[in-house]
Amino acid sequence: MIGNLLARIGGAFLALAHEVGGVVHLLFKVLIALVPPRFDRDELWRNMYKMGVRSVPIIILTAFFTGGIMVIQSSVFVKKFGATSLVGWGAGYAVFREVGPILLGLMFSGRVGSNNTAELGTMVITEQIDGLRALAIDPVNYLIVPRVLAMIVMLFLLTILGDIVAIVGAALFGQLLADVSFAAFWTSFSQNLHIVDLTHGLVKAAVFGFIVSLTSCWFGISVRGGAVGVGRAVNNSVVAAALGIVLSDYIITYTLS
Amino acid sequence: MIHVRDLHLSIGDRPLLKGIDLQVERGSVWGIIGPPGGGKSLLVKTLCGLFTPDRGSIRIDGVEVCGLDEPALVPIRRKIGMLFQNNALFDFMKVWENVAFPLARLKPDLDEAALRERALMRLREVGLAGSEDKWPSELSGGMKKRVGIARATMTESPLVIYDEPTAGLDPVTTSKIYDLLEKIRQSTGATVLAISSDIQGLSTFVKNMMLVHDGQILFKGPLPALQECEDPLVHQFIRGLSEGPL
Ligand SMILES: Nc1ncnc2c1ncn2[C@@H]1O[C@H](COP(=O)(O)OP(=O)(O)O)[C@@H](O)[C@H]1O
Ligand SMILES: [Mg+2]
Repeated sequence: MIGNLLARIGGAFLALAHEVGGVVHLLFKVLIALVPPRFDRDELWRNMYKMGVRSVPIIILTAFFTGGIMVIQSSVFVKKFGATSLVGWGAGYAVFREVGPILLGLMFSGRVGSNNTAELGTMVITEQIDGLRALAIDPVNYLIVPRVLAMIVMLFLLTILGDIVAIVGAALFGQLLADVSFAAFWTSFSQNLHIVDLTHGLVKAAVFGFIVSLTSCWFGISVRGGAVGVGRAVNNSVVAAALGIVLSDYIITYTLS
Repeated sequence: MIHVRDLHLSIGDRPLLKGIDLQVERGSVWGIIGPPGGGKSLLVKTLCGLFTPDRGSIRIDGVEVCGLDEPALVPIRRKIGMLFQNNALFDFMKVWENVAFPLARLKPDLDEAALRERALMRLREVGLAGSEDKWPSELSGGMKKRVGIARATMTESPLVIYDEPTAGLDPVTTSKIYDLLEKIRQSTGATVLAISSDIQGLSTFVKNMMLVHDGQILFKGPLPALQECEDPLVHQFIRGLSEGPL
């Protein structure tokens, strides 16, 4: 019984070590391909468009309502204590440092990361990766590096966009539902927030992009066993990315504060 | 052209190729047959360095393949055109881009118009004129095979490997494909390895046969000698008998 339990814990630990080892190994290959740069530019542009530009509508929608919801949630207290001078600052601080990066990171992982894992995994099981290698093309240079770069850059840019939209949403909902005028919102926002609040969140965005890109690529290219394997890989990739995001969020917040 | 000696390959702890010895002369045409799961695909993939063997030696044009890393394999892979069992068409590229891709990689100075021109010529030869701007997912099984064949022969490499060029195709398409393979072979003079489970069809195209079963070569030699082979498994397999060791 206890032996069984220990064996299972040991097995899970080994499986985890295998995945972490795989991600780290992939990271090294990506770094080697970057100096000097030996990746496919066309693939980079194509992925930046597909992963970034096509994500803009959903990011705008989520960010706008997230900003709004934060104001709605706090409007009860704002009205009760007459704390209208805190709304701009509160919304900005929370969005820039935490809510923006983490929400968009998870969103990005769900939309772009899972898609990426499924795509690479399908390429493995339909022998397309072997096909590339047989044509003397390094799949890491050709497929992985452009995707990793595209995801890091695009999540970073999307987070900037999302931050702005969320603040606009907060200001609008503040005006409509909490009787906070734009002017009051702006004063509170601009006088209390510092550029470090923004950069704090953007550091997170870059790290999250890095995590989502590496995990989604790794789980994609290590798919085994047909369509079922692809499904499992997508699942694992999203879970691993979410864990990675939360964990690194904690570490960054702790070290940067 | 190809010298294989005592080749062993295992994946995980499963031995899958168990001591393959093989010699393929330049310009010869070999068929590879055998029961499914015997290791035919694995063997040809190992030849172009897609799997790393446990031990043994593979020499292509005198160059040892085993133990080379990916960059060092590039010149060897450039000598090989390969049709994969699942075609391995790149589904993010249109048909003509798939066909032109190996050439674009080999000759980076060719511009897009020239590449397209060459790809369209190849597509006409395999009977796919007019499908150049389709996506691979829009094609039937036989059409995909022909795109795969067009891509495998695009750079006129000296060694061409066809993994199941006719699997799942009707008899008419099958014989058309063998005619096509023969036509391409005559114009390029390439050395050919063709895997198939259709012995009759394959016999119209190849001069030599090998039979792979359970990671070993049970027979290799000229086509007529296959009929005389005494091995009970070979005997059963080539006659399609239900009684026997298989
Ligand atoms: N990538 C792989 N990983 C693990 N086992 C494999 C892999 N590819 C093939 N095999 C196993 O190797 C054996 C031979 O496969 P294969 O060469 O595809 O047979 P076939 O002769 O039908 O082409 C099969 O038992 C198969 O399960
Ligand atoms: Mg096979």
